[in-house]
Amino acid sequence: MTPALSALTLTLAALRVVATTPEYGAIATAVGGDKTTVVTLAKPTEDPHFVDAKPSHIVTLNRADVLIEGGAELEVGWLPPLLEGARNAKIAAGAPGHIRASEGIQLLDVPAVLDRSQGDVHAAGNPHFMMDPQNARLVAQHLADAFCRLDAGGCAGYKANLTSFQGKLDAKMADWAAAFAPFKGTPIVTYHPTWRYFAQRFGLVSELYLEPKPGIPPSPPHLAAVMQTMNEKKVRIVLVEPFQSRKTAEAVASRTGATVVDVCQFPGGLPGTQNDYIALLDADVKAIAAGLGAAK
Amino acid sequence: MELFTLWLWPLLALILLPGLLVYFGLHVVERGIIFVDLALAQIAALGICVAIALGAHPGHDALPWVLSVVFTLLGAGLFAWTRFNHPRVPQESIIGIIYVVSAAAATLVLSHTAEGDEALKNLLVGNVLLVTKGEVLRTFGLFAVIGTVHMLLRKRFLLVTFHEQEAKSQGVALRLWDFLFYATFGLTVVSFVQITGVYLVFSYLIVPAVCGALLSARIRTRLVIGWLVALAAGVSGLLLSVKLETLDLPTGPTIVCCFGALLIGCAAVMLVQRGRKSDGTTGRSRIA
Repeated sequence: MTPALSALTLTLAALRVVATTPEYGAIATAVGGDKTTVVTLAKPTEDPHFVDAKPSHIVTLNRADVLIEGGAELEVGWLPPLLEGARNAKIAAGAPGHIRASEGIQLLDVPAVLDRSQGDVHAAGNPHFMMDPQNARLVAQHLADAFCRLDAGGCAGYKANLTSFQGKLDAKMADWAAAFAPFKGTPIVTYHPTWRYFAQRFGLVSELYLEPKPGIPPSPPHLAAVMQTMNEKKVRIVLVEPFQSRKTAEAVASRTGATVVDVCQFPGGLPGTQNDYIALLDADVKAIAAGLGAAK
Repeated sequence: MELFTLWLWPLLALILLPGLLVYFGLHVVERGIIFVDLALAQIAALGICVAIALGAHPGHDALPWVLSVVFTLLGAGLFAWTRFNHPRVPQESIIGIIYVVSAAAATLVLSHTAEGDEALKNLLVGNVLLVTKGEVLRTFGLFAVIGTVHMLLRKRFLLVTFHEQEAKSQGVALRLWDFLFYATFGLTVVSFVQITGVYLVFSYLIVPAVCGALLSARIRTRLVIGWLVALAAGVSGLLLSVKLETLDLPTGPTIVCCFGALLIGCAAVMLVQRGRKSDGTTGRSRIA
C-alpha cells in the first residue's frame, strides 16, 4: 500500500502506526494485526540514511498515533524536519506514541571518541541492530508493550500476535543457525557495516568494508587494500544491497575470484519478502549460505 | 484546513521569497549568463566544504556560514573581473569552468571527511516542504535588505546590465557595479538554494524572466509578468503536490513542471500578439 492511499484508510484502525523503515513496519504489522494500520516512510530499496521528503510523509505523520523509529541516529538526517513539519504532539520526541526501537538493545561499535574524521559514525553505536533476529524478538516485545499502553482494549490481541511471531522466529532461528554451522569464523566483505549484528549472531566475521569509512565512497587505494586482505584471508563473498554500488562490488569480486551476493536489510528489498521480517531473514540467510557454500 | 496549518510555511516561502529571484532573473537573462547561479551556489558549497575540512560542523559552528559568504564574494569578484568581452571567449564558458572546477575541488576537499556528501546535498538539494518558520523569516529579512539596496540604486544596476556601452561612455565603474551585482545576487541564490534546491532556484530565475521577455520589451512590465508567473507556478505546484494524494508528487519537481507549462502558455500568448500586430515591436529591451 502506498503511503498516500494508506493515509486515507488509516482512520479505521485503533492505532495508526508509522514506521520509519520497512523492518519496523513489518514487525508492527505482525504484532498489531488487524487492530493497527501500518505505513512505512522509507522504501526498502532506499538508503535509510537519506530519504526524500514527500507531502504524504508529513500528512501520514500528522495523522499517526504511533511512530516507530530505530532511535540510533539512522534517521537523524531526515526524520526531525519531517516531524517538525507534521505538528503532531502524539508522536513528538518524548511523547508516549514515539517509540525508539533501540531502547534496551546492546549496540555494537559505540565510538569511544566522537569525531567525524572516523566517517559517518553514529554516536549511539551501529544502528543496523535489526539484522540480528534476537534483537527483532526484543523489538517485537517492546512494540507489544507500547501498543498495550496506548490501546488497552486491544492488548490481549497484541500479546497473542507477539507469541505467534516469536514462536515462528524461534523455530526459524534453529534452521538459520544450522545453515551457518559449517562456516564458523568465515570472513565476509560488505559495502557498509550493516551486517555486523548478523555476522555476530551466526558466527561470521564482518570486518572488511568496501567503504573506507562509513558513508564515504570507495577510493582506489582503499579498494586495493581490501582486495589484498581478501586474497590473504580467502574471503569469498561480497554482500551488496539494492541502494549500494553493485558495480564496485562486482569489480572487487571479479579481481579476487569472489562472488557478489545480493542481500537487503529491509523486507521488500528482495523478491517475496514484502512486509515480512522472517521471510526477509530467511532469504538473506539462504543467499549468504549459498554464496559461502558455492565458494567452498 | 491543512493548507494553512501543515503547509503554511512552505506556502509563505513560495509567496514571499521568489520576488527578488525574478528581479535578478531579468538581469541574468539580459546578460546571457544563464548558469551563473549554479556556479555561485557551487562556489558557496566549496566554502562550506573547506570549513568542514578544517574541522567545523555545519549547523553548530559559524565558520561554514562565514566561509560560504567569503567564497561567494570571491566568486562575485571573479565574475566581475572576467566580464572582459573577449571576441572568442564568451563569459558563459568562464562560468562553466568555474562551476566544474569548484565542484571538483569540493569533492577533493571532502574526500577524507564523512559529512561531505551530506553537506553538499544539504546545500544544493533543499526541500521546500521542510522549510521552517525561522528560515522563511530570516531569508525574507535578508531579501528585504538586498531588495531595498537594488531599489535605491536601480538606475545604475539596470544601466550596467541593459546598456553596457552607454554606462562605459558615462564613465561608470563597471567592475565595481558588476561586483556589487554579483555579491548581492550570490547571497540571494545561496540562501534560496538551501530552502528550495538547485532546480527550483534555476526555474525561479530563468522562467519568469523569459516569460516577461517573450511578452514585453518594457522592464517594468516584464517584472510584473515574471512575478505573476512565479507566484502561479509556486502556489499551483504546491497545491498539486499536496492535494493529489494518490499521486504523491514531490513538491519541487511539480513546481518546475508548472513553470514549464506556464512558459508554453506565455509562448502561445506571444504568438497571438504577434499575429495581431505584425508591425514588429520586438527588438531590444527598453528601460521603462
